[in-house]
Amino acid sequence: MANLLSILSGAQTSLAAQRALTATASHNINNANTPGYARQTAVLTTLTPAEQVSGAFIGRGATLDTVTQARNRFLEAQIPQALGNAAYNTAESDALQAYHGLDPEATGGLGSAISGFYASLTSLAQNPSDAGLRTSFLGAARTLARTFNRTSGEIESARSGLDAQANGLTTQINSEAKAVAELNVQIRQARGTGAEPNDLLDLRQTHLDKLAELAGASFVPTSDGDVNVTLPGGVALVAGSHSGTLSTTADGQIPTHLDITFTQPDGSKLGILPGTAFGGTLGGTLSARDGALLTSGQRVDQLAYDLANAINGVHSAGAGLDGLSGRLLFAGLGATASGAAAGVTVAISDPAQLGMAGAPTPPATVAPGDASNAQFLLGTESAALPGGKDVRSTVSDIVSQFGSSSATAKAFADQDGALKDNLTRMRDSYSGVSIDEEMITMQQAQRGYEAIAKVIQTTDQMMQTLLSIKT
Amino acid sequence: MRVTDRLIFSTATLETGRAREAAEQAQEVVSRGTRIQHPSDDPAASGMIIAFNMSSDRFAAISSSAAAASDELSATDNALDGIGNALSRARELAVQFSNSTYSQAQRAGGAEEVAGLLGQVVSNLNTRFGNRYVFGGTKDGAPPFDPTPGPTFGNYLGDSAARNVEIAPGMLQQSNVLVGSMSTDSADPNSVLKTVQALQAALQANDPVAVQATLDGLDAGINQVSTTRSQVGASMNAFDTAISAARTASGDDKVRASKQGDVDLIESSIQLQATQTALQASLAATAQSCKLSLLDYLR
Repeated sequence: MANLLSILSGAQTSLAAQRALTATASHNINNANTPGYARQTAVLTTLTPAEQVSGAFIGRGATLDTVTQARNRFLEAQIPQALGNAAYNTAESDALQAYHGLDPEATGGLGSAISGFYASLTSLAQNPSDAGLRTSFLGAARTLARTFNRTSGEIESARSGLDAQANGLTTQINSEAKAVAELNVQIRQARGTGAEPNDLLDLRQTHLDKLAELAGASFVPTSDGDVNVTLPGGVALVAGSHSGTLSTTADGQIPTHLDITFTQPDGSKLGILPGTAFGGTLGGTLSARDGALLTSGQRVDQLAYDLANAINGVHSAGAGLDGLSGRLLFAGLGATASGAAAGVTVAISDPAQLGMAGAPTPPATVAPGDASNAQFLLGTESAALPGGKDVRSTVSDIVSQFGSSSATAKAFADQDGALKDNLTRMRDSYSGVSIDEEMITMQQAQRGYEAIAKVIQTTDQMMQTLLSIKT
Repeated sequence: MRVTDRLIFSTATLETGRAREAAEQAQEVVSRGTRIQHPSDDPAASGMIIAFNMSSDRFAAISSSAAAASDELSATDNALDGIGNALSRARELAVQFSNSTYSQAQRAGGAEEVAGLLGQVVSNLNTRFGNRYVFGGTKDGAPPFDPTPGPTFGNYLGDSAARNVEIAPGMLQQSNVLVGSMSTDSADPNSVLKTVQALQAALQANDPVAVQATLDGLDAGINQVSTTRSQVGASMNAFDTAISAARTASGDDKVRASKQGDVDLIESSIQLQATQTALQASLAATAQSCKLSLLDYLR
């Protein structure tokens, strides 16, 4: 016959199991909005061994077996890559979208400055002795030079802004990598107790997701429960309980930008990492800085260099009103195109020195109305630059190419963003907390608790009945 | 699919965000009137818009300088008209005073008038348009026909250079006429100014035969003025055609740029309406789905 005290003991354990059920539901509800949280389920099991009475087994109640987490490893394995790709393309796209120096409809752009230069030259070629037109053309030449300066400056400014962003990102990545290394240690210690540290695993997963998003990192779980983190270039960012450190340093170029150096988890210096060593937001930021923006800047430099040299070549053959020839219209150009757009200036300050006339053969002097060289200068508008295209097509190409790079980054960002959203939603669907479900679980636990309380009450009454037999 | 609270809220955030972004973009397109805010919106069209706008500006500049050249030629034509009138009057006087019935005093009076006509011709030859003497070739800065009384009066101080102005990219049209041969120092013994001077001298000398001898020169001068005016007319026609062609080309390029970048207002207004309706629906659906919870039914 079953012992009344053992019924009470079983009820006590079962009450605790129902409390665990409620506590887990409560924990789930509390963390319904916690990023990276995977819902937990308290698994109850029958308490064994059962009591054998008269050849039959009588159960001893229920107890908490374990608390599991709802995690879909298949989905979760895809998420870091999706997070990294989406962050990479979004960062690149956002950086390129933020640069408006090459907008086709913007006033004061390269196209309108070049048009303005040739429009002024056309007017001056019609009447080269008009002082007003000479001054106006000189103004248009200055506007052209300043527009090159400004366009180049804006591109460099955008690139410097990305340097600042990259610098901030390296700090964030270091902090996340350190957190993963520390959690590796804590998880190993917690597992030593024999239980699964679900919440620590969630926390580590959150940091890993962040690292995937920031640096495009990938993860390799080890047999002892650690997760090692690797950057896309194959460099280990976290190895067990140690994390590497990213830092930035000036690249020594002009204009100056930042290089990213790396100290490995074992403390050895790896030196400068190329931009391709990173994915995620940092990779996208570096790709925008050293990709489309750099290329556009170089092409603007090349255009400034080629156009200014073409104009200088013709201009120096012409003579000013003082009869002197050999003057350059544009200065500030070096031996190569590098930095040409930033450095180009107008060399002439006196409109009378503009070489609009053909160079006279002494003792002949310059006729003020001679526009023969102005006509040659007009020819530079449609002449092919060393790149093979005329100035108009070159500007058009620069804008189209930048637009194309931005559009590609935007399309990839949208596509990868959609994939990331889809995977994240699927993870939310699988691992997320449903308040309705948890409420039902709590109701279920409450009912169980009430029923067990009734068992205790009944058992108590039975014991009282038993005890009252003697008195 | 298992629906969790985070799924409901993240879907709501995502979908309403997308709907709002689409509505925002549609509104920006309508309010700006252009569908290209950034080269990435349409890379090929962005390049073409710049090229078309540059081409349009170039043609507009050609049209404007051709108009200036045409105006200058118009002033040149007026000057030649004045010279032609003066020469016609000189011819009338030459015919009149070649008749032997006129007295010396009458011829002296005629000589006075011819002196005035000579001054008028030189003044016309020194016509200035803006900063430039239209008959001086490229020597814009000084009167091309010496107005100083004396032995050098009427000498040509200009040059024989043609001034050319663009009528299309790379195509030039002469915008001046060269009349140095009308000067007093011309190699032509019957140059206009020499002939008028000879007429004046003949009238002062009361020499009807010499007066009559100037008639051929005067006829030749009138013909030269007429021929020159024809050249001016032809050039003006060329410039007027160029102005018209360049304006059309400039306008066409603007239209092409506009076609690439400007929005179809009807289409974009409909798009705006559609995106705003979608946003409303998305917000309403979100509000509705967030309302339903078991919490409302459990006591």
